[in-house]
Amino acid sequence: MRIIKKKTNIDFIGKRRPALFISSVLNLAILVGITIFGFNFGVDFAGGTVVELKFDHRVTAEDIRKRAQSAGLHDVSVQGIGSASENSFLLRLGGVTQLTKENSAQAEAAIRALGPIKFFNADLDNGLINFRSEKKLDPEPVKQAVEGTGTGIKEVRSLGEAQGGGNDYQVVVSGMADRVFTAMKQGLDKPDFIVQRVDYVGPQVGKQLRNKGIMSLVYAMVMILIYVAFRFDFKFGPGALVAMVHDVIMVSGYFLVTRREFNLTSIAVLLTVIGYSINDTIVVYDRIREEMVRYKGKPLPEIINIAVNDTLSRTILTSGVTALSLVGLLIFGVGEIWDFAMAMLVGIIVGTYSSVYIASPLTIWLDERAAAKEREAKTGMKPKVA
Amino acid sequence: MDRAWWWKLAIILVVTLGSVWFLVPSYYSFFRLPREQRNNLKLLQEKMPKWAPPAKYRLNLGLDLQGGIHMVMRVDTKTALQKRTERRGLQISNYVKDKKLGEVNVDADPERFELTLTAVDPATMDAIEKDVLATFDDFTKIRRDGNKLTIALKDTQINRFRDESVDQAMLVIRKRIDKWGVAEADIRKRGNDSIQISLPGYQDAERAKELIGTTAQLEFRMVDDTSPFFRTLYQQNPPPKESGISLIEREGFPQLEAKDREVLLAYVKGKVPPDRKVLLECIASTVKKDTCESYRTYLVDKNVPLTGENLTSADASTDQFGEAEVNISFDAQGAREFATLTKKNVGKRMAIVLDDDVHSAPRINEEIPNGRGRITIGRNPTKTRDEQIEEAKLLALVLKGGALPAPVTVGEIRQVGASLGPELIRKGSLAAIVGLALVVVFMAIYYRRSGLIADVALILNGALILSFLAIFNATLTLPGIAGFVLTLGIAVDANVLINERVREELAHGKTARAAVDQGYDRAFWTIFDAHVTTLIAGAILFATGTGPVRGFATALVIGLVASLFTSIIVTRVITTYFVHGRNAQTVSV
Repeated sequence: MRIIKKKTNIDFIGKRRPALFISSVLNLAILVGITIFGFNFGVDFAGGTVVELKFDHRVTAEDIRKRAQSAGLHDVSVQGIGSASENSFLLRLGGVTQLTKENSAQAEAAIRALGPIKFFNADLDNGLINFRSEKKLDPEPVKQAVEGTGTGIKEVRSLGEAQGGGNDYQVVVSGMADRVFTAMKQGLDKPDFIVQRVDYVGPQVGKQLRNKGIMSLVYAMVMILIYVAFRFDFKFGPGALVAMVHDVIMVSGYFLVTRREFNLTSIAVLLTVIGYSINDTIVVYDRIREEMVRYKGKPLPEIINIAVNDTLSRTILTSGVTALSLVGLLIFGVGEIWDFAMAMLVGIIVGTYSSVYIASPLTIWLDERAAAKEREAKTGMKPKVA
Repeated sequence: MDRAWWWKLAIILVVTLGSVWFLVPSYYSFFRLPREQRNNLKLLQEKMPKWAPPAKYRLNLGLDLQGGIHMVMRVDTKTALQKRTERRGLQISNYVKDKKLGEVNVDADPERFELTLTAVDPATMDAIEKDVLATFDDFTKIRRDGNKLTIALKDTQINRFRDESVDQAMLVIRKRIDKWGVAEADIRKRGNDSIQISLPGYQDAERAKELIGTTAQLEFRMVDDTSPFFRTLYQQNPPPKESGISLIEREGFPQLEAKDREVLLAYVKGKVPPDRKVLLECIASTVKKDTCESYRTYLVDKNVPLTGENLTSADASTDQFGEAEVNISFDAQGAREFATLTKKNVGKRMAIVLDDDVHSAPRINEEIPNGRGRITIGRNPTKTRDEQIEEAKLLALVLKGGALPAPVTVGEIRQVGASLGPELIRKGSLAAIVGLALVVVFMAIYYRRSGLIADVALILNGALILSFLAIFNATLTLPGIAGFVLTLGIAVDANVLINERVREELAHGKTARAAVDQGYDRAFWTIFDAHVTTLIAGAILFATGTGPVRGFATALVIGLVASLFTSIIVTRVITTYFVHGRNAQTVSV
């Protein structure tokens, strides 16, 4: 059996200018889109709290939203997962602690009511309040006073006597997830749901994870580029690099356009796409190198056309087989795994395209420039057409 | 068939049998044990036949598949450093006064850990500067402005302090988790100010929050070492044999010892004299330092005369004879209490208790009036000098952790409910099976016999990935399953490349033998390069990824390495058998 019966003779190189043009426009549009709209960052990167609840009876997302709002939780996004009969929902909240500007102002007033204080400092990111009281306080009344303002407290820590008089205390505010549970349980004898999953990422950790993720993409590209330059001629390098960057941008475009969550798994997809998309490029490059030896003296564009045509069926087949293995994940995968499979599929498609239309033509461009330079050096004249 | 072929065949058979053998523990843990017992290695070992590999080589499920809690705590070293800087400021001001160098006012800049000393009499500043910088060598001079001197904590000090704070926090967390008896808990440092904790199968989020919700309580309690309580209890009310409780007596000091904490506590419960309390000491295993080998009882006074709040410093050092010791000092109030306590109890033991666990119980040798004590570790013939110094450092860490704890906050919590896991496993395996079945069927139809040969290699590759995950004690996560499927998809690409090449050679009119040989030879480097590039990406993901994503990277990396073996060597050996061995004139591709 064969997908391509006869030898093909498609002029890929001839169409390189429109292909490069369309790709460049698309890439630019995606980059502009990212700067304007940004990704829909998941909790991994944005920080925040995600709670997955499974209810024991039929509820709709709207019911849950109402329930949350009646308990004072306004900025909660509710999203059903799986089929409707599963009654599973993801609740996503921006904050990670219950400490907000208003809360901390109320807490400050409550603490001041207990006695004079020297300073008061609320760390909203970490949900901590540090204050120095002029007299010694018992942690318990402090806790009660702050809880009286409606902010959940985990603990009040006594940090001991301060230099120059006064006592230091630290109030640890409860996390957002606690607040969600309290809100959802409100008015019920016992909760009508079970907690399937809680994801909570602090804002600093989120930022760290994001930077680390971006750095890992850069490292991967540089290392692969070094390997390609080492195994192939140097002039293959730029083509491979541009193809990789192209694929990463296109897959990012998938996350940008669909508004699917961009998280740690997305970084894993991007890294795998980088590693995988270069595979097709290598198959084509290998063949170009081989044909260059066989047809010495033939112009490079022609050689590349032969190579791409000869390897066309295997380029399609290898991508097709890998895509085939993802079908199961696309049917049965939920949440992150479905996103993984879908983005990977996009990556495989653009990776195949880029090795034919981007990686190979760029090699010609570099070759032409090198040839032009050589001519220039020989004749001492500027060539009319580069 | 030449010798090399037979060798390759032998290697393939050994690898295949080996990987199947290593999958035996996983098979038993998934299909022969009830789900709640899956982490029970002892039971698993009993259930398995004798010839099976050790139970620890079973496939570990990640937290996302078996439920549990993963958390990352951030140790707030900044707050602790601010406190430390302020304390040092007070000490400097007292020092200047004590040495009659003059008088300084000290202001602390908490953001930069700086102290500004302002001399009341500008003329004394030069002498003060010289003396203070020489004595308080953890500070370095920033600038001098007339009668104002600004000094800051040295970077090396800040780093040391940061490391120490994280170690203290880890110590407290480890002890608490040990108390709950969570099997397979994994605690490790992440970055320079975070601690990562995995509690597989653990669901109690409220208790997990205790880890951070409460500060470690350090107490000093008097030990009643003259009471025959434990001896009498043991003789009059002997514990059941299976409890493993035994009575030990050293220097006429009776103690009970047992391997299980709960058993020991249950045995003494309700029998303790009214003004006394029984606390346990963890005897660390000599092999695995972080785990408790057994527990020993202490009978202590119910009253707590002194707590960590009054402790100002604790430092490990060695005395002039090279013996390890810990120097401690108390604040003014603590010093008074300590003086009374030591005066009253000379010759008795004082227990150092952290979070209700006795850490050690040194003997009081004399009255200590000035609030500066010295705890000597004492010679122990079973321990080397380094081990004793290590012990002193640990004790100092316990004391500091209780005295000046760096506040700990939650950086990240990921909790997966127990009911979600089985559903994900079911969906994940179904997805993997469907994806693989499609690939297998496609290869068989498209390349006929060569396709079937590739399928055999593919299945071996799958077995290899799973068994290597088991051998390396890696964990299988949901993204790991995705990685497994994707890797098999990539692995089969190699056979597509080979078979296409063979077809091409056949089209050039080559014989079956020549076509197969050249097809494999020519495709080799292409396949190699393609694998290496994906491996580079996988390795970077493995190095930077955490949690489930790391599981994906592990599956990817193992799968790619295995694929080089299965899709090139294994398929070639089989194909060569048909083409050379059976002397076939055609090759089915």
